[in-house]
Amino acid sequence: MIWSNDLSTFVEKLKAYSKPGYYDEFDYHWTMTIDLDRCTGCEACVVACQAENNLPIVGEKRIARNREIKWIRIERYWEGDFPDVKMGFIPMLCQQCDDAPCETVCPVFATYHNQDGLNTQIYNRCIGTRSCAIYCPYEVRYFNWFTYTWDEPLEQQLNPDVSVREKGVMEKCTFCIQRIRIAKDKAKDDDQRRVRDGEVVPACVQGCPTEAMVFGDSNDPEAKVSKMMKNPRGYAVLEELNTTPSIVYLKKAHA
Amino acid sequence: MFDQGQPSYADVNKDVLSSMLETGPRYWVLLGTTMSVAVICFFMPWVYQLFVGIGAAGMNRNAVWGTYISNFIFWIGLSHSGTLLSAVLHITNSQWRKSIYRSAEAMTLFSLMTAALFIMVHVGRVWFVHWTFPIPNPMGLWPNFRSPLMFDVMAITTYLTASSIFIYMGSVPDFAAVRDASTGLRRRLYTIFSFGWRGTAKEWHTLGWAYTFFAVFVIPLAVSVHSIVSWDFALSIVPGLHHTIFAPYFVCGAIYSGTAGIVTVMYCLRKFLGFEKYIGQVHLDNLGKLLIALSLIWSYINILELFSTWYGGTSFEIEALKFRLTGFYAPLYWEMILFCAFVPLLMLFKKFRLSWNKMLVISILINIGMLTERFIIVATSLPRKFLPNAFGFYFPSWVEISITIGSFAIFATLFLIFIKWVPAVSIYEVKETLKPLRRDA
Amino acid sequence: MAIMGTFVFEEDFLAAAENLKSSGFDNISLLSPLPLEEAQEVLGLGKSPVRRFSLAGAMIGGAAGFAMCVATALVFILPTGGRAIIALPSYLVITYEMTILLGVLFTLLGFHIISGLPAWHDEPYTESAGIDRFVVVVEGTDGEQAARAEAIIRGAGAEEIQHVEEKS
Repeated sequence: MIWSNDLSTFVEKLKAYSKPGYYDEFDYHWTMTIDLDRCTGCEACVVACQAENNLPIVGEKRIARNREIKWIRIERYWEGDFPDVKMGFIPMLCQQCDDAPCETVCPVFATYHNQDGLNTQIYNRCIGTRSCAIYCPYEVRYFNWFTYTWDEPLEQQLNPDVSVREKGVMEKCTFCIQRIRIAKDKAKDDDQRRVRDGEVVPACVQGCPTEAMVFGDSNDPEAKVSKMMKNPRGYAVLEELNTTPSIVYLKKAHA
Repeated sequence: MFDQGQPSYADVNKDVLSSMLETGPRYWVLLGTTMSVAVICFFMPWVYQLFVGIGAAGMNRNAVWGTYISNFIFWIGLSHSGTLLSAVLHITNSQWRKSIYRSAEAMTLFSLMTAALFIMVHVGRVWFVHWTFPIPNPMGLWPNFRSPLMFDVMAITTYLTASSIFIYMGSVPDFAAVRDASTGLRRRLYTIFSFGWRGTAKEWHTLGWAYTFFAVFVIPLAVSVHSIVSWDFALSIVPGLHHTIFAPYFVCGAIYSGTAGIVTVMYCLRKFLGFEKYIGQVHLDNLGKLLIALSLIWSYINILELFSTWYGGTSFEIEALKFRLTGFYAPLYWEMILFCAFVPLLMLFKKFRLSWNKMLVISILINIGMLTERFIIVATSLPRKFLPNAFGFYFPSWVEISITIGSFAIFATLFLIFIKWVPAVSIYEVKETLKPLRRDA
Repeated sequence: MAIMGTFVFEEDFLAAAENLKSSGFDNISLLSPLPLEEAQEVLGLGKSPVRRFSLAGAMIGGAAGFAMCVATALVFILPTGGRAIIALPSYLVITYEMTILLGVLFTLLGFHIISGLPAWHDEPYTESAGIDRFVVVVEGTDGEQAARAEAIIRGAGAEEIQHVEEKS
C-alpha cells in the first residue's frame, strides 16, 4: 500500500502508475526458445506437462467435442499429399505475453502479470467468465467444463506441489511456476543468491528428447536462453498483434 | 389519436384500473403456463448445469462463449425500447408516446432482469459472482476496473437501478389512483406504494422536474450500456469482433429490436387487456416509421462492416468473413439479413404499416432476426480466430436451447405480473392528451 | 380548519386559485388528476430545487467513481496487459456510469425531500381529485378568514365545499 509514504513519493508513484508498462524491469524475465528444426512432434512435452501439473483426464468422448485440456499442444501444419508431405510442428503453449490481451479483461484480477514476467492464473479467484480465453489469440487457455476426477490408483501420481482445479475455473501453462518457486526458495536459503541458469527446468523442457526447448532468465545475459534468442531464425508467433510473447520460436530451416 | 372518440377522465381511470383489478380465468391459465415453462425450461436445466458444470452447454475450447452471452446481449438490446420511448420522446415532448410508455418501460426493466439472469447462468462459478462488485472484504481484493467486463457490471447495475427508479417514480400518481379505487389489503399496500400522493401542484411540479432529470440521465446511460456491452467483443483482438463500428452497431440494433418488441407488446395489450381505445393507428404509424428508419441504419452499418472487412483484406478477417457468409451458419446469416433488412421495407407501404396483424408478424420476424444476429456474432467469429490448427465449431446443446426458450417465459411471467400490479397505461399522462372539459362545450 | 372546494371545470378551478392567491391566502394546495402548468404558475413555483440535487449527485458520483477506481487499483499493484495501473480510458467509462448512478439516486432523494413525500400525516383529500375533479384546499383558516375563502370558492362555481378538521 502506498498510503504510508509521504506526499512526494505518493505523487511520484501515482505518476509512475499512470504510464503503461509499469514493470519496465522484471525481477527475472522467464523466457523460452523452441527450436522448430529439432522438434519431431513426439509429444513427450505434452505427456510431461500432464504428469507434472495434474492435468485432468478429459476422456475420448469429450476431447472429440473439442474440450481437451492440454497446456502444451503440438500444432501440425503440412503441405502436399502423401508421399510428398512436408510437415511442421509448433508446440503451442501459453506465450506469457508481456502485453497479454487476456489479462486486461478478467473482471476479478484472476490473471495478471507478476514481477517475474509470468502471466499468472489464480485458480481460487477465477469465477469462470471465460473472457480471457476469448481474448487470447493463441487459444492456449483451457476451461474446466466439468470437475474431472482420477480413478484409483491414478490419483496417487498427482503432483503435491500443484493444486487440482474444480469445475468452472480457467487454467493454462504457468511455466511450471511451482518449480520456479522451489528454485527461488532454494536460492534465497543459499545465501540470498540469484537463481542460476539451468536450475529451473519446466516439465516440457525436461521431457523433450531432442532438447528443442531452452528455458531461462533473459535478464541474465550469460544464460543459454539469452544467446538462443539472438538467433537470426528467431520469431514470435502472431507478433504483428503486438502481444510481445516471451517465447521465441526458431524457424525450421527448409532443405 | 383516439380512434374511437375521446374518453372522459373518469373513463380513463375506469378502463385502466379494471384491467388491473378485474382478473379472469384466462389470465391465471396464461400465468400458470408461463411460470411452468420458465421453471421447466430455464431453472431446471440451470440447476442441472450447476451440478454438472458448464460442460452441459455446447461450448468448447474455441467457442467458450455461446448462446448465454448472445441471449444476454439480445435481452439488453430489447431493454432499450423503454428508454427510447419513455425518455427520448419525453424530452422531445411527443404526445403519442403517452399511452404506451409505461409498458415500454416495464419491458426495459424485465429485459434487464432476464439479461442479468443470463450472466448468472453463463459464469463458471456463480457462487463467487459477487466478487465483481466493489464490496469491502477481509481479503482486501477489489475488482479490476480496467476490464471491459467491469464496465459491463457497472453499466448494467446503473441501468437496472435507474430504470426501476424511473418506472416507479412515474407510476406514483397511478398508484394513488389504484389506492383510491381499492379496499382492504390492496388499499393499504398502495397507500405505501404511492407515498400518500394527493396530486397537489407542488407534488406534480416536483415530480415533473425529477422525471425530466431521470430522463436526461437515462438517455446517455442507455447509449453507454449497449456500447459497453459491445465492447466485451470489440475490445478483444478476435477477427470479426475487433471493429470500431461495434458500439454504434449494437446501440442501433438494440433500439431496433426494442422498438419491434414494443409493437409486439402493444398488440398483446390491445388484444388481452382491451386497450384499443388508447393504443391506435397513430401509435402503429409512428412506431412503423421509427422501425423503417432504424432498419435502414442497421442495414447501412452491416454494409459498412462487410465492406471495410473485405477491403482491408487481412487474412484473419477474410477467413472469419468467409466462414460467416458461406460456412455452416450461412443460412442463419442470410435469414438475419432477410428479416432485418428486407422484410421491414414492407412497412414503407401504408397497407402494412397500419395493419396490426401484419405489424405483429413483421415485429416478431425482426426480433428473430436480431436474436440470430447476436448468435451469428458469437458462433462465427470464435471458431475462426488466428491459428488455423485451432479452428473449431460450435453448436448449442439442449440445455442452451431450453434455457433460451425459458428466458422468454420468464420475461412473459414478469410482464404478466406487472400488468396486475402497475397500471399498464399511464392514467395521468393519457389525461394530459385529452381536451379539458369546458363549461361552454 | 381547512376548506376544500371541488370543481368540475378546470377554468373555474384556476380562477378560484388566482383569486385566493391575490386575496392574500398563502396556505393553498391545488389538487388535480393531471399536472397543470397554470396551477403551478399561480402558486409561483418556478424552477424546482430538485435540479440542485441532480447536479450535486452527478458531481459527487463522478468524483467518487474515479476515486474508487484509482483507490482500488492501488491496494495491490496488479499490472494487466502492459497497461498503466491508473488507466484513464478505462476509468473514464466507470466514472461516467457512477456519475449517472449517483445523479439518479440524488435526484430521487431530492424528490422525496422537496415534495415532502412519503406523507406521514393525513392531509385533506377527496378521491375524486384523483379521477376527474379539481380541488382547492385552503388550510389554516378560521372564523372570518374561512368565510372569505369560502365565498371566493363558491363565487368561482364550486360543485361542492367541505370543511375538514385539520390534525396538527
